[in-house]
Amino acid sequence: MSVVLGVSALYHDAAVALVIDGELRGALQQERVSRLKGDPRLPIAAAHAVLAAAHMTAADLDAVVFYENPFARLEHVLVSTLRGFPQTLRQFPRAMAAQLSQKLWVKDELAAGLGIDRTRIHHDEHHRSHAASAYFASGAQTAAVLCVDGVGEDTCTSVWRGDGTSLRLLSRQLFPHSVGLFYAAITAWLGFRVLEGEQQVMGLAALGSPTKLAAMERLARINVDGSIELDLSCFAHHYDHTLGFSAGFVKVFGPPRRPGKAWVLDDQGVPVDAADRHYADVAASAQHHTEAMLLALAQHARSLCPDVDTLCLAGGVALNACANGILSQRSGFARVFVQPAAGDAGGALGAAWNFGRSRGDVPRPLAHAAWGPALTAAMMVPLATACGLVSQPVVPAEVVARLWRGQVLALVDGRSEFGPRALGHRSLLAAPGPRRVQDHINTAIKRREPFRPFAPAVLRDDAAAYFDHVTDDLGRFMTGVSTTKTAWRETLGAVTHHDGTARVQCVDEHAPHLHALLQAAQAAGHPPVLLNTSLNGRREPICQGAVDVVRFLLAHPDVNGVVVDDVLLTRPS
Amino acid sequence: MLRLRTTIELLRHFVDSRRWFLLPLLLVLLLSSVLLVLTGGLSYVAPFVYALF
Repeated sequence: MSVVLGVSALYHDAAVALVIDGELRGALQQERVSRLKGDPRLPIAAAHAVLAAAHMTAADLDAVVFYENPFARLEHVLVSTLRGFPQTLRQFPRAMAAQLSQKLWVKDELAAGLGIDRTRIHHDEHHRSHAASAYFASGAQTAAVLCVDGVGEDTCTSVWRGDGTSLRLLSRQLFPHSVGLFYAAITAWLGFRVLEGEQQVMGLAALGSPTKLAAMERLARINVDGSIELDLSCFAHHYDHTLGFSAGFVKVFGPPRRPGKAWVLDDQGVPVDAADRHYADVAASAQHHTEAMLLALAQHARSLCPDVDTLCLAGGVALNACANGILSQRSGFARVFVQPAAGDAGGALGAAWNFGRSRGDVPRPLAHAAWGPALTAAMMVPLATACGLVSQPVVPAEVVARLWRGQVLALVDGRSEFGPRALGHRSLLAAPGPRRVQDHINTAIKRREPFRPFAPAVLRDDAAAYFDHVTDDLGRFMTGVSTTKTAWRETLGAVTHHDGTARVQCVDEHAPHLHALLQAAQAAGHPPVLLNTSLNGRREPICQGAVDVVRFLLAHPDVNGVVVDDVLLTRPS
Repeated sequence: MLRLRTTIELLRHFVDSRRWFLLPLLLVLLLSSVLLVLTGGLSYVAPFVYALF
């Protein structure tokens, strides 16, 4: 019986997760309160927000658990520096400065920041935290767990076996042979921001053809045992963490794309510029090869756990929804599960669960992703009114009618989501077609690349009528890609990507307002499908509180209003 | 006092993992960290970090 706060921080996507007697009670990323996208700083503000929502203070905590081992991390930095000498000479002072200024002392900083005794601060291991977050969230009694990310301490990939409340490490692959850092190098070469632009690479891949697959296979070789071996002459992460790719990479694929250069597509979604078509082909090749690497790793996990039928995935690479969809269809596992905060933020949850079960607690599976502080109409209306907005009662049928008239509406429903996906609690909604709706939201509201797809939210029980290969394990948290049925691709044009795929969210009563809207759409004779994207502007975190939502509405004139509970907030006509 | 606990945990980690060859480097780093603590943060020694390494 314990009250545990899990913490991930200091690399990217800092977060906290409050677990009481094995049950998640609250979770929040620091970026939601600091308003800095991907904020890596110690999530003290997020911790206080989660504790306040649970009517607790830091004094009530039995333990605070950091999601990785700061001493093993320092050891990894020292060993990899010595191994890469003299190439690592330039990186060494910076790496040491980062370690010595804060990362090594993270447990002291947490104790000071939360105002609790240092003896209550513990640490876990990066991949063990990931593995726990995936396995215990799934609710499976037995599962193979595959963790794939950039690097955690010295490990890039690990395979675990979960049995009941135990987790056992079966194999691991050490730095620098990392699937995550392979994808990061491609991301950087394509001119996108690493740790943020990976989703852009995935979206761009649908526009190209995998014509560079042979080169990719040489770049990252898949061994017979499923392990990955990078051609290190093409990468730079092992000697300079600010560089992803090396001159060797440029020799193979040509010069990198200039960051920020606009993408121009024709009517078919093909890049007009020949150079951009080449970049799209490289993205497609990298995506195909990443899927092949993950399939090989999944088969390796299957060979280590031949008697289990569930595969749980975690780590930053598990946010690759296209690859998850492929794994779901081809890995041989009956179930493939990915929890909503599969990246480093989810490590906070795994660390808390691991500590709790060492005290005899039994982790409880995740039924939904809404674990942040709540926001209600009563909290929003006074601020909105003071800012000149108009509030009026609204019913789902009226919201649906507005959406099908071409309006774009924000939806705020209670507690915010944990993880990078908006699942109906801090969402932006529109009709699911035609395709020009996608162009409008990409250019006028999101202000991002024209090829970026939007996800469909569909009533769970009706998903199979509109999409192929939908599973509840991936659809629940929008962590896998499916295919829109051919007959519906035109009607659902705004939520179907250029290659016919769609990142489907299967909606049930856990997102009550979105569920009611989908039912209202169905009652009005429409497909029970809505375009659902995150409630945030360009390079902003998803809105959390009333101030964020009202500010977003005021800054985005193409958003027609905000639905919160049974109230519609609009600008005065 | 707080940092002493972390220093002990750090040394224990390196002893347990038998990374003896890293000890000289680790001692230099610990001395540097003492400098950081005494001066109250990285901002004071930032100009010297590159010279130290």
